Amino acid sequence: MSIICLGIEGTAHSFGAGIASSGGDVLSNIWDMFSPDEGGIHPREASRHHSDVGPSVIRKAIEVASIDVTDIDLVAFSRGPGLGPCLRTTATIARALSLRLNIPLIGVNHCVAHIEIGCLESGFKDPVTVYVSGGNTQIIAYAGKRYRTFGETLDIAIGNMLDTFGRDVGMRFPAGPRIEREARNASNYHQLPYSVKGMDLSYSGLLTAAKRLVSEGVPMADACFSVQETAFGMLAEIAERAIAHTRKKELLLTGGVARNDRLTDILLGVAKRHNAVFHRVTPSLAGDQGAMIAWTGILQHEAGDRLNIADSIVLPKWRTDEQDIVWRKS
Amino acid sequence: MEPWTIGAESTIYRLEQWGRIVLLKHRPQKPYLLKAIDEFLRTSRTSRECKMLTVARNLGVPTPMVYWVDMHRHYIAMEYIQGKQLKQLVAELAADRLQKITCKFGKLIGLLHRGGVVHGDPTTSNVIVNQKGDIWLVDFGLAEMNATVEMKGVDLHLMKRAFETTHWDHEEIMWSAALDGYRTIHSDETENVFSRVEEIRERGRYH
Repeated sequence: MSIICLGIEGTAHSFGAGIASSGGDVLSNIWDMFSPDEGGIHPREASRHHSDVGPSVIRKAIEVASIDVTDIDLVAFSRGPGLGPCLRTTATIARALSLRLNIPLIGVNHCVAHIEIGCLESGFKDPVTVYVSGGNTQIIAYAGKRYRTFGETLDIAIGNMLDTFGRDVGMRFPAGPRIEREARNASNYHQLPYSVKGMDLSYSGLLTAAKRLVSEGVPMADACFSVQETAFGMLAEIAERAIAHTRKKELLLTGGVARNDRLTDILLGVAKRHNAVFHRVTPSLAGDQGAMIAWTGILQHEAGDRLNIADSIVLPKWRTDEQDIVWRKS
Repeated sequence: MEPWTIGAESTIYRLEQWGRIVLLKHRPQKPYLLKAIDEFLRTSRTSRECKMLTVARNLGVPTPMVYWVDMHRHYIAMEYIQGKQLKQLVAELAADRLQKITCKFGKLIGLLHRGGVVHGDPTTSNVIVNQKGDIWLVDFGLAEMNATVEMKGVDLHLMKRAFETTHWDHEEIMWSAALDGYRTIHSDETENVFSRVEEIRERGRYH
């Protein structure tokens, strides 16, 4: 019989609720992104947003899935990593539902969920994953029962870098899409710091130099273009290092920044050079949302993973490689 | 010519020249990168690698000899070291031998660091081991001079992560052997570098 799982995501700016079945169908996937009128994301304000919109987002997810609340067999939630206040709000909602409906609670690692929903959609068995978002920049691959982080940022995440640059030049959060549009009208490239260390990279020097470009009067389009080409070039290099190192034949691009077409083109080129298949996760499944939590919750449940409410404390610094991936065989 | 191996940023050919085996390392054009960035990387990495292979050797670190360079077409011809990558050997080596070799690896990184140089990509793919257990460091395209404590900390962090992601069954003995080897090279900075490694690991994440 098919199992139905409600997945609740709330690690950072977005609150989402998604419903998935054990057959691999996403029945609904609703989210609401906190976008302040000015400035960036304050953890307390974001958690307030989650508790405000949470009930209606969950109600809508149940409605769109055309199920009754009593049809839900499991509730999964994003247990970490993320912003403490946001995680706690989300966990509280999940615990309450688990108790009220008397169904098991599953704690899901947010980063792992991004990979698993990508694998569900692409049919990939064992990819190198490029996970890029506001809070994360990681190159992840499965090895020895864990998803291991082969490369990551040594300072700020790519999305954070783009947003901070955007905010500095007067763009609203999230700035990524606007930067991508601006970059299309560029005519000149300006060299910016390119910092790759092994399979890691660093964006803080690039950010400082990019802000300076704009303050020195470089046209916005040229600055945006230069930021994108440099930042994505670095990312391509570490992804390529991971592929060359692991010899894996699938490359998966996911996370909010996966929506960027230029980044997609570059990684497609990387995959080609190494005879690997490339997949970019669909926008609705690439950003932070509940369907990925629901689907990973099902995988964990089927492998016998359980979480007592008393032990369900959130894990703001939960590393991708700290969880045994019990549902993967090889 | 058929490539001998395709790396992340280079294609390597093995050929015979002047009666010996020569490795030809080519940094090919990458059409998916912006031309200006691609050209800059190919040129700077080729020139850096040549220079740093020699700088490292002068610090007492065995590296392949450079025979000739073509800066315009981004080729380096270098000595072929008869041996295997440490990466390929880890699983088959007896524990004491693995410990010994990893300790040497740590010592060589220590020698570089004492000389103000970081390797930039100190993974087990870039360590060549011969039959006798002598080791060489290769792939200096990301190496840097005038290294700070931060840069050295990052270098060791990368080494630790390579053990973690690729040799998880031997991670602990390798890391402690590498640190033992590193410690044998006396420097005032050693403890600072070690504590920086821990700090670096915590960055780049949600807090």
